[in-house]
Amino acid sequence: MKKLSLEKEEQLLRYLDGELDAQTSQSLEAEIQTSELLSTRLEELRIVQSVLVQKARLETPSKNFTLKVMGGLDAKPVTSTFTPRKGLLLFIGSIIASGIALALLSAGVFDAPVAPLVLDSPLKTDWLKVPSVSIPFNGKFLVNGILILNLALAFVVLDRTVLKPIFQRRLSSGI
Amino acid sequence: MITQQEEYSLIDKILAGDRQQYGILVDGYKSYAFTIAFKILGNRPEAEEAAQDAFIKAFQYLKTFNRTAKFSTWLYRIVFNTAISYKRKSKPAFQSIENTIVEYSGKADKQMESDDKQHYVSKAMESLNEADRLAIQLFYIKEFSLEEVAETMGQNMNTLKVRIHRARLRLADELKKLLKEEALTL
Repeated sequence: MKKLSLEKEEQLLRYLDGELDAQTSQSLEAEIQTSELLSTRLEELRIVQSVLVQKARLETPSKNFTLKVMGGLDAKPVTSTFTPRKGLLLFIGSIIASGIALALLSAGVFDAPVAPLVLDSPLKTDWLKVPSVSIPFNGKFLVNGILILNLALAFVVLDRTVLKPIFQRRLSSGI
Repeated sequence: MITQQEEYSLIDKILAGDRQQYGILVDGYKSYAFTIAFKILGNRPEAEEAAQDAFIKAFQYLKTFNRTAKFSTWLYRIVFNTAISYKRKSKPAFQSIENTIVEYSGKADKQMESDDKQHYVSKAMESLNEADRLAIQLFYIKEFSLEEVAETMGQNMNTLKVRIHRARLRLADELKKLLKEEALTL
């Protein structure tokens, strides 16, 4: 089936909204008289228009609406303690800390053998024999773990405080 | 309706500590705020909560209102953002009784015809995306100007106008499709 051009459809909408000048309106009306395609489309648009106008009305909230608002005026505003600026600073700080840790790691600072941790019980006496507990300690392994955790935390902070608000704002502008 | 000058004088009084005056602003704008929230959320209790929340936020940030825009558009923007964040937090909304199309029987032909049109246009509305649907619903409420709708939705006026035109054309297309499908099932 033949379709109207977008310009013609826009013209029909402006005609319905009463935005066309008298001369353009008259020539369009003459065209509508002779074109079934135009008159059918106008009728479809008119139905949509009339229903939308019928449905369009202000809604009324409950009677105690104002009372509830006035009663809630002292409520603390819900604000995030992490503003995007703070979040970005924290992210940069975490990245710098990770960078330093990485530099120290690659310089071999944590490669030196470290004596195992020996935990001696303060209750140890001649009468009470408590065996000493010895935990092997690997500094490099520990720093690697902290580094990974730090990086993960930095990206979570970036996501929650900087990226999410940006995307939410973008979404709400186009809903 | 309160004039802009009266509004500014009320705001001055509120900022000076006379918070009871805020009730006049709430009374003046509650229907508008509630309508915006309702069109976004689609259910009355949640819309009411969001609109109230928006009024409380507006009160708390009233000193930041710089009077370059109208108080109404500033408030509507807060309502819009609050309702959007409610929508994100909420589970899929139930359909309120006010939004449900109830079919009656045994009424005059004219009424039936009008209800049928409403039914099909409401159905066609489902094919629109949320932003188009909201824009078109607010645009037809005569109490909102095109400029207010644009500012509320954070859009340029021309963009909004194009959006509304395209949505109307889309609705007409969808309506035609629905009626054709209906005719085929008869």
